[in-house]
Amino acid sequence: MKLFRLTDRSRKSVEAAFKEARMLGHDSLGDEDLLLGILRAEEGIGAAALASLGVTLEDAREESEAMLSEALSSIGISIKEVHREAGDAFDMRLPDDRKIPYSSRAKDALVGARKEMLRLGDDYLGTEHVLLGILGNEDGAAVRMLGRLGVALEALEERMYELRGREAER
Amino acid sequence: MDKKTRTRVGRPEDPREGLEAVVALRRTLEALEAARVENALIAGWSWAKIAEVLGVSKQAVHKKHAKRIKARYPGEPPRRKGSRS
Repeated sequence: MKLFRLTDRSRKSVEAAFKEARMLGHDSLGDEDLLLGILRAEEGIGAAALASLGVTLEDAREESEAMLSEALSSIGISIKEVHREAGDAFDMRLPDDRKIPYSSRAKDALVGARKEMLRLGDDYLGTEHVLLGILGNEDGAAVRMLGRLGVALEALEERMYELRGREAER
Repeated sequence: MDKKTRTRVGRPEDPREGLEAVVALRRTLEALEAARVENALIAGWSWAKIAEVLGVSKQAVHKKHAKRIKARYPGEPPRRKGSRS
């Protein structure tokens, strides 16, 4: 997928997202991984807004794992039990060199990010646009994850605009 | 977040939940297969024997798992005895 004029910060966040996805055993890059990537890279307004609302990478990873665990429970499988049975060799992580594709939700989020960039009249695609793109899919895993973390989407958006304002004043 | 109500296990009300369970299961299955293959090698099984039980070709199972296992046991293959299969 060709990405357009990402800032270094966004590019780092997307790269971090792929690392997070592999770490969690995701065989494609989900929209929740883009969110995790922003948290991991700690770059730009997107990351600053999340941090100021108390969202940490650790908490977000835990939620991702909890969502997997709950999905398995819904079909009667206990991930803990699987792990216990298989022993130390059981590891959800994918190897670092494993190529994984963007999921359609992640693609949509990045397309949404570009739209947000144009809407705001910006000439760069920063992590705030990526985050806004992610928030655009209410049905996505990232939005659900934020909900579980107790983050109000309106508050998050507001914080980003606030931080943008501050940056513009400098 | 909307309340999750399920009729019973195996019959999620929301198709999305049902499909997401499939994704979770696929990811778990991949990890479980890798772990079981690794454990079998440690137990001294050959790739051929592992492949036979998994119902796939020896090449397929080797291609899928050898690299990961090599990375996990640098320098010392988990299978110490036996000929190359």
